[in-house]
Amino acid sequence: MTRNLYQPMNAEIVDTIEESPTIKSFVIVPDGLFKFDTGQFVELTLPGEGEAPFTPSSSPVVAEKMEITIMKAGRVTGLLHECGKGQRVGLRGPYGNGYPVDKFAGKHVYVVGGGVGLAPIRSLFLTLVDRIGDFKSVICRFGARTPEDFIYKKTLFGDWQKLRGVEMKLTVDKADGDWSGHVGVVTTILHPKDVDIANAVAVVCGPPIMMKFVTVSLLDFGFHPASIYLSMEKNMSCGFGKCGHCMLGKYYVCKDGPVFTYEQISKYPNIWE
Amino acid sequence: METAFISRLKPLLDAIAKTMDLYVPVKVGEHYACGKYDPIGTTEPELNEIRMSPPVKELLFPVRELAAVFPQPINPKSVKPFAVFGLKACDLRSMEILDKVFVEKDFEDPFYVARRKMMLAISSDCSVPGESCFCNVLAGKPYPEDGFDLNVSHVTDGFLIQGGSAKGKEFLFAHAGMFGEVPDALLAERAKLREAAQNRLEQITRDFQLDAPVGQIVERGYGSDVFDEQARTCVECQACTRICPTCHCFYLYDTRKQDYFAKMKMWDSCMRIGHAQVAGGANPRKMLGDRLRHRLMHKFAYFLERYGIDMCVGCGRCVDGETGDVDIRTVLKRLNDELLAEGQKAVKAAT
Repeated sequence: MTRNLYQPMNAEIVDTIEESPTIKSFVIVPDGLFKFDTGQFVELTLPGEGEAPFTPSSSPVVAEKMEITIMKAGRVTGLLHECGKGQRVGLRGPYGNGYPVDKFAGKHVYVVGGGVGLAPIRSLFLTLVDRIGDFKSVICRFGARTPEDFIYKKTLFGDWQKLRGVEMKLTVDKADGDWSGHVGVVTTILHPKDVDIANAVAVVCGPPIMMKFVTVSLLDFGFHPASIYLSMEKNMSCGFGKCGHCMLGKYYVCKDGPVFTYEQISKYPNIWE
Repeated sequence: METAFISRLKPLLDAIAKTMDLYVPVKVGEHYACGKYDPIGTTEPELNEIRMSPPVKELLFPVRELAAVFPQPINPKSVKPFAVFGLKACDLRSMEILDKVFVEKDFEDPFYVARRKMMLAISSDCSVPGESCFCNVLAGKPYPEDGFDLNVSHVTDGFLIQGGSAKGKEFLFAHAGMFGEVPDALLAERAKLREAAQNRLEQITRDFQLDAPVGQIVERGYGSDVFDEQARTCVECQACTRICPTCHCFYLYDTRKQDYFAKMKMWDSCMRIGHAQVAGGANPRKMLGDRLRHRLMHKFAYFLERYGIDMCVGCGRCVDGETGDVDIRTVLKRLNDELLAEGQKAVKAAT
């Protein structure tokens, strides 16, 4: 018999990290070899309960374990949040195309993220940092609702700010007592002078409404639609372009994406919904 | 032996049923259902004039099946050979379409592939195409030309049996004693009957003929109001997608069994409101008109671009099966006319 595409590889949650009131990271060790490229996604099964697609937030260079950051958004993610160390899970994939990091070489990479959208971006960021010399610069603009809602706080507020070749600005929609940084939605920290647009690509990941307005700003700044890379969240169920749920126009987001350029998908309606 | 003659169907079906399960058409009212052949109970099997109502996908991609088991994977039950008698040209074409999806390189669906390999496809000519048939609008014919193992054509005093694959030809060879020679007159008769069926089909579909390739018509009609208008008469029963022989959306869900966890695979429908919805609640196709548009775009534009074949065989099952008042033939015709009108407007503007 041919390999069963629907059979997950067994894996185990070995650690959980509270990132924000609604977001947790899970460190998962697959029973076998499980490689992925940054930006590709996996289908994580909670046995007997359900399966959902997530883009790992860890570096693809680390083969023995992966991290998946999950926001409580529905039934399966709610149940996952109740899982602790030792929980057996299933992994299928990896699926999709991932970020075309090689194509970014020689360019400025303008990374805009918001909320739990920093999860796929973290994996990309770690990949970019690993070969920082390949890029003209890595410029990050990240936002969250409140300072507490930022994920990966320790590195985000610490080491990542000091990396050579990386420039980073953060913002929150609403500040609280200790926040001395910028306040405003993420588009308020985007500026056309941030980057040499003719020699740059932009990567955007976050809640749909944020991606929509960021894309509008980037187009206004003069970014070419083919230089704006969007990580699309759709209802990816099978992962290999058959079950039909994630179709976005002619594309299967699971197979042809989840990373698309704005040029590819702009003609379809409701892409942000 | 390419083509053979047999005077009665029963010996042929009995011979097949000896070695495998055989599914045959069973008349229920005006329609044909599909049932297991019983050599003892059947006096003389019936040859269906048109397609059976259930699509052949039911036998290759069942409504619900076990897709994976946790924690110990099990090998799915091995599939025993089986035969389906009474398939039509549209059914064979639907299998060609499903093959593109489920036998795709690097992404083979092991369950579909196992069943497909074990299936003996026995088709037959459509003697009397039905009122909802429109395969000819999509370049189909009321008789099979390829894709079958055996094809049956009803002629005076008997049946012509044509072998279409190595498996089919082997069967004819192995059972040569059962068959007679085919005189040229019978081949001529078959050609005449086929022509008559084709003429009838053209009569039935005379109001639905298209003036341009269907993919072009549908793609250019993306912005048409017809989808929102149809949404007013569609009751979202999803029958069109369930009964369609080419629709193949499915849903994966996990469940607990007594001593294991199971991942199940079940038919789904792009007409269902939650089909494209994500966990956070966003839904790119929450409006029914958008779902109707997507279904047609998928069938005639997106699938064609991806696989080089359109995803509709013109069997008319959706026309028969739907509860509301959506007719794919009138939608295609309307898009066709809108495209024509647009063309005429452009010509007028240019002159």
